[in-house]
Amino acid sequence: MTVLSTIAAAALPILVVTLALGGVAKLATVERQASPGTLTRLGPAVLMPERFAKPAMIACALVELVLAAGLLVVDHPAARWLPVVFFAVATYVLWDLRRRRPDVGCGCFGDVSDTPVGLRSIGRTVALTAMAVLIGLEEITGLPQVTAETALWAGGWVALLLACSPEIDQVVSRLRHRAPCEQRPMPPARALSRLRASAAWHAHAGSLLTDEPSDMWRELCWRFFVFPARGDAEVVFAVRLDGRRPNVRAVVVGADGQVTTAGDLGGASLRESTPVSA
Amino acid sequence: MPYRAGERRRKLAAAVLGRDPGPAPRSQEDTAPYDVVSGEILDVSPHLIILENADGEQRRLVIAPWATAWRGGTVAPADLPAGARVVIRALRDGTVAERIWADITRITGVIREVRGRRDLTIELDCGPHRRERSIVVPYRSSGRIRVRHPKLEPGYLFDAIGLLDQGTAFAHLPATSQPPYRATAVPPPPMAYEGGEAGISGTAVWADFAEEGVAYPMLEREDTGCDDAGVSCAGLPYLALGSLLRVRNVCDGRTDTLPIVACGCLAGRFCDRCLECDTSPRGRIVELAASSYVALGGDLTKGCFNARVGLG
Repeated sequence: MTVLSTIAAAALPILVVTLALGGVAKLATVERQASPGTLTRLGPAVLMPERFAKPAMIACALVELVLAAGLLVVDHPAARWLPVVFFAVATYVLWDLRRRRPDVGCGCFGDVSDTPVGLRSIGRTVALTAMAVLIGLEEITGLPQVTAETALWAGGWVALLLACSPEIDQVVSRLRHRAPCEQRPMPPARALSRLRASAAWHAHAGSLLTDEPSDMWRELCWRFFVFPARGDAEVVFAVRLDGRRPNVRAVVVGADGQVTTAGDLGGASLRESTPVSA
Repeated sequence: MPYRAGERRRKLAAAVLGRDPGPAPRSQEDTAPYDVVSGEILDVSPHLIILENADGEQRRLVIAPWATAWRGGTVAPADLPAGARVVIRALRDGTVAERIWADITRITGVIREVRGRRDLTIELDCGPHRRERSIVVPYRSSGRIRVRHPKLEPGYLFDAIGLLDQGTAFAHLPATSQPPYRATAVPPPPMAYEGGEAGISGTAVWADFAEEGVAYPMLEREDTGCDDAGVSCAGLPYLALGSLLRVRNVCDGRTDTLPIVACGCLAGRFCDRCLECDTSPRGRIVELAASSYVALGGDLTKGCFNARVGLG
């Protein structure tokens, strides 16, 4: 047994368990619908029109369960390479979701994965894609024989996946009896100081007419600040209230109510102009 | 801090986070809300009611044969007096009246002073956004009220449903059992942990405010200028004036997306449960305008329904 085939053999049960867990958790989320509109805040359902959100979530869950079963029992290249396609597409979807909807979770494990998509979630799907590629290359099907070497590699894969899982932070918070971010009071002054230390602030500070916001409000874990800017425009900042290096986003809204620059959201696939005149 | 229109806030937040500024469309499981017509009665007959709404428009509604009306008690719709302010639950695009509530008012506040021996006069502090009110508990209703409000003393909460008659509010029915604690000693919310239950369930009540929408207790004090905000025993997330809430009546599935238009300073101080179709979790999560409450299938004389809310 080569080193590569040992690594692939160790990856297979982890991939199967991850797919099965993801599928079951998604189905449970659809079944439970803990709050109205839960699905509209979770990927991949958020990318679909509302009426397709539930079918999309169910379809995604069923695909995951079928792929997990295929890896275990079907000895065919298709059963080994379809997970590669699935995780590669998932990586792209998460990357796109991070740019388009920075406020929604990946939904990888249903409503447990409601933390906004970050590099860790994307890193996890990259790692899963790599594991699937190894399994495809080494043509492994079914559960491997447990040896010390396989167990060691499996431990390594699990550690990597756990390190890339934002859901773990929630488990730690739960153990530390910490209230969720959206229920913790946070003075606006602290969010403002976080904003002023951010790159987004420095990028727009020159165009602001005043240092004091003309409006500010808080919604869940985001605090929004609106500053008047040159040319009758307004700069809107959104500051994430949790995390050590808070996510700060900015957008410039022109006098005509159109978004003129999308700050660090920039990208060709974004809506170029969002009417915001009220 | 000046407060911007809620719609403007929603659009700016949507622009910076790249989300859709409008409310999410209703899902297939949700039932559409009722049509609600409110206004002042111009004329009423056994089969037809004519009223003038707040915009000065005249509305004519056919009274359904099974329709019921309330004005201090159950009455025949034709017995409602001209000039009464009514809220009507209507069918068929607002042309057929099914339930009518006339001159109904909700009296919720912190007791300031209680006077009188037979008919009681109670001075209430209804929160910083609402005026102080002076209400009368008539002798014939005082037994009912006292059973559910054993501490008619300054500092305790009061919540009743009553009748507005010539500018005076008369309490008729207790809307809830009085909390045993003082208004300043609200119990803390249950421990919540990150990644815990995402849904918010509890009691939805109604209050006397004209603007269509909801009053929500968990707003940041600095943003609203309301020193009584940010108190709730239901473990609610912080939201802002203008945020859209999707409110679902758990009892019949009616769902509507409504903006937060006021601070629910008093709603957060009640840790009661609603027993409409099942026992709701503890705590009031939203206070609805009367028309929004009726649209979601609520009965104004019952005062609450079990609700679940999500961000719209």
